[in-house]
Amino acid sequence: MFGVSFLSPLFLIGALAAAVPILLHLFHRKTDVVIDFPAVSLLTKAPVQHHRRRQLRELILLVLRVAALVLLAVSFARPYVAGAAAPASAPVTVVALDTSMSLSAPGQFAQAQRAASQAVESAPASDAVALITFSDVATVVVPPTSDRRTVLSAVSAAAVGAGGTRYRTALASASEVIGARDARVVIITDLQQTGWEANDEGGLPDGVDLRAVAVAGPVSNLAVTSAAHRDRIVVATIQNYGSDQAQTPVTLMVEGEPVAQATATIAPFAAMDVELRGGLGDAGTAQVVIDDQAGYQPDNVRFLALDPPPAVPIAVVVADPTGAVGGIYLERALAVADEGREFAVTVADGRVLSKWTAAEMARQAAVMILGTRTLDRSGRERLKGYLAGGGQVLLTLGPDVDPGTLSDVIGTDLGVAPAVIRATDATLVATDSRHPIFRPFLLPSGALGDVQVDQHRRLKDQDGRTVLARLTGGDAALTEQTVGQGRLLVFTSDLDNQWSRFPLHPSFVPFAVETARYLTQGRQQRQDFTLPDVPAGVPAAPGIIRSGAGAAARPIVVNVDVRESRPAATSVDEFTKDITRTHRSDDRQVADVARDAEDRQRWWQVGLLVMLVALAGEALVGRRAA
Amino acid sequence: MAGEARYLDPAIVARLGTIDLKARTIVEGFLTGLHRSPYKGFSVEFAEYRQYLPGDDLATLDWKVYARSDRHFVKKYEEETNLTCHLLLDVSGSMGYGSGPITKLQYGSYLSGALAYLMNRQRDAFGLIAFDDRIASLVPASARTGHLRAVLLALERLKIGAGTNVAKPLRDLAAAVRKRGLVVLVSDLLDDPQSVLDGLKHFRYRGTDVVVFHVIDPYELTFPFERSARFRDIETAQEVMAVPSTVRQDYVDRMQARIAHYKRELGLAGIDYCLLDTSQPLELGLMAYLMTRRRVL
Repeated sequence: MFGVSFLSPLFLIGALAAAVPILLHLFHRKTDVVIDFPAVSLLTKAPVQHHRRRQLRELILLVLRVAALVLLAVSFARPYVAGAAAPASAPVTVVALDTSMSLSAPGQFAQAQRAASQAVESAPASDAVALITFSDVATVVVPPTSDRRTVLSAVSAAAVGAGGTRYRTALASASEVIGARDARVVIITDLQQTGWEANDEGGLPDGVDLRAVAVAGPVSNLAVTSAAHRDRIVVATIQNYGSDQAQTPVTLMVEGEPVAQATATIAPFAAMDVELRGGLGDAGTAQVVIDDQAGYQPDNVRFLALDPPPAVPIAVVVADPTGAVGGIYLERALAVADEGREFAVTVADGRVLSKWTAAEMARQAAVMILGTRTLDRSGRERLKGYLAGGGQVLLTLGPDVDPGTLSDVIGTDLGVAPAVIRATDATLVATDSRHPIFRPFLLPSGALGDVQVDQHRRLKDQDGRTVLARLTGGDAALTEQTVGQGRLLVFTSDLDNQWSRFPLHPSFVPFAVETARYLTQGRQQRQDFTLPDVPAGVPAAPGIIRSGAGAAARPIVVNVDVRESRPAATSVDEFTKDITRTHRSDDRQVADVARDAEDRQRWWQVGLLVMLVALAGEALVGRRAA
Repeated sequence: MAGEARYLDPAIVARLGTIDLKARTIVEGFLTGLHRSPYKGFSVEFAEYRQYLPGDDLATLDWKVYARSDRHFVKKYEEETNLTCHLLLDVSGSMGYGSGPITKLQYGSYLSGALAYLMNRQRDAFGLIAFDDRIASLVPASARTGHLRAVLLALERLKIGAGTNVAKPLRDLAAAVRKRGLVVLVSDLLDDPQSVLDGLKHFRYRGTDVVVFHVIDPYELTFPFERSARFRDIETAQEVMAVPSTVRQDYVDRMQARIAHYKRELGLAGIDYCLLDTSQPLELGLMAYLMTRRRVL
């Protein structure tokens, strides 16, 4: 029951132009000259055949001309085939089936499937029926159709997953399916409280009847909510979501084999850490498994990668590494990150840097410039090319930086005043506290306010430069700008404990680490992912995935979102009350659906193509007729 | 054919009053011209005289005429001079066609009237038979005074008939004409040529001389149409869609072939054939008649 509709049906009026060639044809035929002539018997028979051919040719020409005009009008009317098997105006019952992890307790999803089947069978006879399954995302499994057997088959074939519950996603999808039709929605779910994600958008249009069918969840659930690897020990956190004390064996498995086991006894609504020792290597993956037969199954296992993530290379350029202030503070600060595993810091002076190849330079995820006085022309060109080609650079304007040669190093004039500003009691103030660099300083304990800066250089105002932090005197302390394809952060004082006491301040380490992370974001290789946020190409299911090939291959672990492990449910009334009702802009929705369908199908292009063929045929036949 | 300029245009004749006047105008004009024409050596006689021919009885020479004209004429008895002539005029539907000011039937009527007038002047007995697929009008041959008027009146009243069937009336007439004479057929001959020839040969079998005036419209000869059209047969209503530029040459060839066929076959049968298109002067027909008459006598 596919029907052809038109996005701009008024253009179909243009098809009336097809009457013109028809009328001309008829008029021409009616006005055939008839001549009375006595010697008709001497006229050869050939013209008769010629005439018949001509008649056929004229008929073909007429058909081609009419076809061309009609196709032109139809193409402009933007035709599309309504994809839904049921008429777009028919009322619809949308059955939304929850397939999130919170339906994975034994027997729970079968109960949900029965409820869904019953909803399909009990839908009004005049209704089309559609099936949506939802967890983190909603999928229209069966668009509105009058074939209920198909819907029932799809219900039977549905499977529970490990995703989270997102009610609004399901409701938004149902709204799209409903469009402007009269509709009712039957949602089959465990009414889990955590399903109302605040950031989601979606509701039901006014007038759409909603019936929530509650599928009872387990009375308790045990989940492995985290597992961390420290010094050949795995510390697993086991959460008891039940109201009774629970006991479960906790097993550490490496490459499919149990290497350690413990028993955890967990108080009601409490969590406990379990240390698992033995049999762990420095590489590979492991999983912590508990035995919870009654609760949700996917959260009974937690995967972890034993491989340390590769350190991110960072170069620190100093004037003299052998000196007393050869970037030691910055190097030490970066070494704190992930116990020295996150960054691989290379301290180099200008002489060393000048000998680096372009590949060595490009390998650096970021470059932090503390001194430029030993940079020769080659080193300056190397840095300039690195930044212009997309490199990430932190430049300090301390005493080892020569402002006169900065433009050769950076590739642009930063507008640095040569005079050193000496300010007393100048402290740092974050201009944009939401910036990733200042994330650790949101709490008062981590404030930058007591960082004193004695000397600094003044930057002139420039377009395209963002001031991330200022000194209390008003001068810029930390700025960000793009240079070529790269990103440049400029700290207007030094980080070598010469012009300020900042490197001795507790906030220096988080500042240095977050700055390095900010500069190297995208170069860091994550190994742990939580559903539904998985990298491209990785299936959205808990487990261990090998990413990359050859020597670059590394394991990626994907775990469930532990928020989904909480079985606490709301009531049907509360659930219904939380649903946002949207104003039904019927025409707009129908138009949007139609526009989308037309945009996908693009029959107008086919129409115009056929029209051109018809015109070409008309020209060909017409020329032969002439 | 500059010499024809002195003859009367059929279109002008058509504008004259009665057919009587038309016939008289044509014949008197023709005869006047004839006296001055190089054809007078044919010894045309229009009364009871005929030029002397070797073998003629010298006693029949009219010496008075010889004295006046210095020519030898034999004086014939009226009985010997008179010829019985039957004018057969086709009035079938196709004769109603005319691309110009006159139709083939009008042309045939004028020709018949002129011939009748001429015959009357020569005191020949003459009759008129109009036919299509049957005999539509019959005026028996006679040389009586006032007969000319009867023939001309019959010509005046002729109406277009149905389809042509020349063979049947010719067979009927051949059976009816007992006395040796002359049959003048005026027709467009748009019939089966073999049927026409068979019908005419019946006269020849009976010793009757025949002269055929094949009247044809100029358009039938040249098919000068330009636009594509449906050509409807006047008699059968059969329609043929044709593109003139495409069929013209073929049509003209067929028409010329038919004319050549008539000319050849009629010649072989001893029948005089004269093709007249309706734009040509009627006097050409009279000339042809006189030549035939001369041969007959």
